[in-house]
Amino acid sequence: MATKNNLKKYKVIYRKKELSEKKKKEILKKLCDILGPENVSDKEIDKISYSKDYWPIALRWMLEGKIPALPDYIVWPENTKHISDVIKLANEEEIPIIPFGEGSGVMGGAIPIKGGIVVDMKKMDKTLEINKKNLTITVQAGINGMTLERTLNKEGYTLGHNPQSLYCSTLGGWLACRAAGQFSTKYGKIDDMVISLEAVLPQGEIIRSKNVPKSSTGPRIDKLLLGSEGTLGIITESTLKIWPYPEKRTLQSYAFEDLKDGLESIRKILRKGIFPAVIRLYDKIETARHFYQTKKAKGKYMLILVMEGDKELVDLEERVSHEICEEHGGIKCGEEPVLHWFDTRFDVKEASEFAPRDVIFDTIEVSVNWDKSVELYNSMISSMKNIEGVILASAHASHFYPQGVCFYFTFGGTPVKEIKPNDLYSSVWNAAMRSCIDAGGSISHHHGIGIMRASWIEKELGQSFKVLKRIKKTLDPKNIMNPGKMGL
Amino acid sequence: MLDKVKKYSWIMNAISKLKWSTKKEVITHFLISKKKYIPKKKTNADVDNILKCALCPNMCRFDCPVLRVEKSETSSPSGKARIAYLVEMNRLNFSDDVIDLMYKCASCDACKEWCPFDFSLGELLIGVRKDIVEKGLVPSSLTIFKEKLEENHAIYEGGITSLGLEAKRGDVLYFAGCTTLNKRKEVANANIKILEKAGINFTTLSNEWCCGAPLSILGFGSDFKKFAEHNIKAIRESGCKTMICGCPECVHTFKELYPRIGLKLNVEILHTSQFLLRLVEEGKIKMKHLKEEYVYHDPCVLSRKLNICEEPRELLKNIPELKLKEAQFDRKETRCCGMGGMLGVTNPKISLEMAKNRVSGLREACNSIVTACPTCELAFKNVNKKLRVLDLSELILETMEE
Repeated sequence: MATKNNLKKYKVIYRKKELSEKKKKEILKKLCDILGPENVSDKEIDKISYSKDYWPIALRWMLEGKIPALPDYIVWPENTKHISDVIKLANEEEIPIIPFGEGSGVMGGAIPIKGGIVVDMKKMDKTLEINKKNLTITVQAGINGMTLERTLNKEGYTLGHNPQSLYCSTLGGWLACRAAGQFSTKYGKIDDMVISLEAVLPQGEIIRSKNVPKSSTGPRIDKLLLGSEGTLGIITESTLKIWPYPEKRTLQSYAFEDLKDGLESIRKILRKGIFPAVIRLYDKIETARHFYQTKKAKGKYMLILVMEGDKELVDLEERVSHEICEEHGGIKCGEEPVLHWFDTRFDVKEASEFAPRDVIFDTIEVSVNWDKSVELYNSMISSMKNIEGVILASAHASHFYPQGVCFYFTFGGTPVKEIKPNDLYSSVWNAAMRSCIDAGGSISHHHGIGIMRASWIEKELGQSFKVLKRIKKTLDPKNIMNPGKMGL
Repeated sequence: MLDKVKKYSWIMNAISKLKWSTKKEVITHFLISKKKYIPKKKTNADVDNILKCALCPNMCRFDCPVLRVEKSETSSPSGKARIAYLVEMNRLNFSDDVIDLMYKCASCDACKEWCPFDFSLGELLIGVRKDIVEKGLVPSSLTIFKEKLEENHAIYEGGITSLGLEAKRGDVLYFAGCTTLNKRKEVANANIKILEKAGINFTTLSNEWCCGAPLSILGFGSDFKKFAEHNIKAIRESGCKTMICGCPECVHTFKELYPRIGLKLNVEILHTSQFLLRLVEEGKIKMKHLKEEYVYHDPCVLSRKLNICEEPRELLKNIPELKLKEAQFDRKETRCCGMGGMLGVTNPKISLEMAKNRVSGLREACNSIVTACPTCELAFKNVNKKLRVLDLSELILETMEE
């Protein structure tokens, strides 16, 4: 006979006041009435499965036998009305709502720290229309990234949004965090791709914006939802820009003596109006880490370029980029390093390999203008390296604009002396955030705020944060939507 | 080895620059920390690798056919690994829900295709199921299934274990497999006729037991061994040099699973698609034209576990004028029919939904389906009895010249 579970074997980090048994049953019944019993769960294994996202600190807790936080219920809405009705119920019962896609966020944004109802969006994953004339796709927000891209590829199109989490994240998650893909320099970030959306606001109101290329009809209310990380509502559907699948793709790589030379080459390429789909410039440590097989790049800074699109344009872009890289001392390393990047870009093994060895790894992505870029890189690297226990701090520049760049830092360390692994995380993060703000950067380029950056958002936004809080209070007076995130 | 040194030189280089005391701590952590996170007592489950899977962001999830039906984090590949990790670490009890979850996998290896560690969740879960067996917590429905299998020697009640042909020694042994014998007799008959027409000196077993794959998958290790020993003995006695099976699961079991328990057959083991292609190449069989369209469905065991993707296609291309269509997800990217991993027994509802999903994907390419696995054929027929679903062997026999 199987035995019953009990909660005593693991410690819950974010504890909250338990609902009374009577209340639990009452809300469960109401949820079942709205969604049907097959779309509601209060089972223990489901609560545990929805207790975390991919925040490295939550992974450490799992290792240590702790559970980050337990929701009270998990629901799987099948349509927008389901969501609206669940949100209305949550307002009546004053119980939190936590939207959930596929839990790949690395900031703790989807952890139900105050309990409540996790709204899993995965049953809302239909492709509603691919409009080849208008170059748009209309899809529900619960669709998985790779499924979306494969749906388009089959028809000869691409979204051009390829984050490392492509296989394990949803459109709704991308929109709610203002995500960026690895091909973003050409295709833009997810917020650039949005034409219109449908969303349910914190009191159950449903809004839909118009599917037109542009309008001048007042501020865009729908855009408030982008980057709101579930605190201002749930995005249910969106129309996005698409592109014909590229006719040609070329791969090229160059090794530079200096970070400045690499950055200058990229800046000049973009100034010419050339937007390679992928541009990545790796510092010495990361070049050694990823391109150890390329002898010409030893001890140097590796740049990889992927141009794609119309054949004639791609050929021209490649020729001009080549001239610029050579002018700045770039040593041509050919296609091989780029092919290696294509082969390994989804190999996310760090947590699996290193966390059980008490070695911590994490990444921090920030953005900065060209004129402050080298200074920001140097100061963030040295601020992280100064923390006791840090073994290495490195970076690559991963997304580019005519105005500036996104640096993607990686740090690794091990807790020394009496320091706990999660305290080491916090120390490095705080040092990095401080240094980023001081150097004139923005504390997040595309991972968002969640829990990890919440204490820094006020410093980042200044007066605007007070406005954001007022907006939140107006839209969500009972603070139902994903409470405790983004400092809200 | 040299490549590994080069691969990790970036981190070794960083460690070498640390102060001696820090360096010592880093190395100590690296070497001993892991022990804290795996059970002290040895288990059947490979907890070290289950933990690696549990710590992954679920990179294979988009291709997991169970998750595509269930849409729940709990049923996602890493989700199952996390629960498995918690029970193996004794932080969670083997509750009914946990036990049920440990069987919710099609063993189709779709996850393995995308895994940076090359893990198959299906394989990782077998160890957990063995622990469930040892603890005496097997769901009663599965215990009954196992007992019936032991009684019938086939996964079907009143199991047929022979084609009833005269037992003799032969160079080629046709091992039909229990699904074909009991539910797809047409396929066995087609193969027999093809072999006869091609003039092959073949034989069959008079008492052919299930290959044992269902027992292995469900974690009944010692019972699996009994089945393996029976079959190995019978196969050896047949005196065959080559054994052919139309069921990919049987081929996989003979080639991969028997050797793992120390039972190796010294005969050539082929899937029928490989053997029939050989007959075509040797000029022993020839097909006449057939003006029809078929989509070929890759059975996941055949394509992903046995790497047999091209032989069935090559064989079909030898039928003049036959138009072979491809599904969007083919070869190693194929989608499971729903019957993999004994899901048809453990979770029939999910299994049927998976079959529906696959059938609709195949029908986007063509309404007539040809495949190379009796279990896939049954799964598709289950969705719609009127659906035209044929085995390769049936199509070959239909078009074979006299």
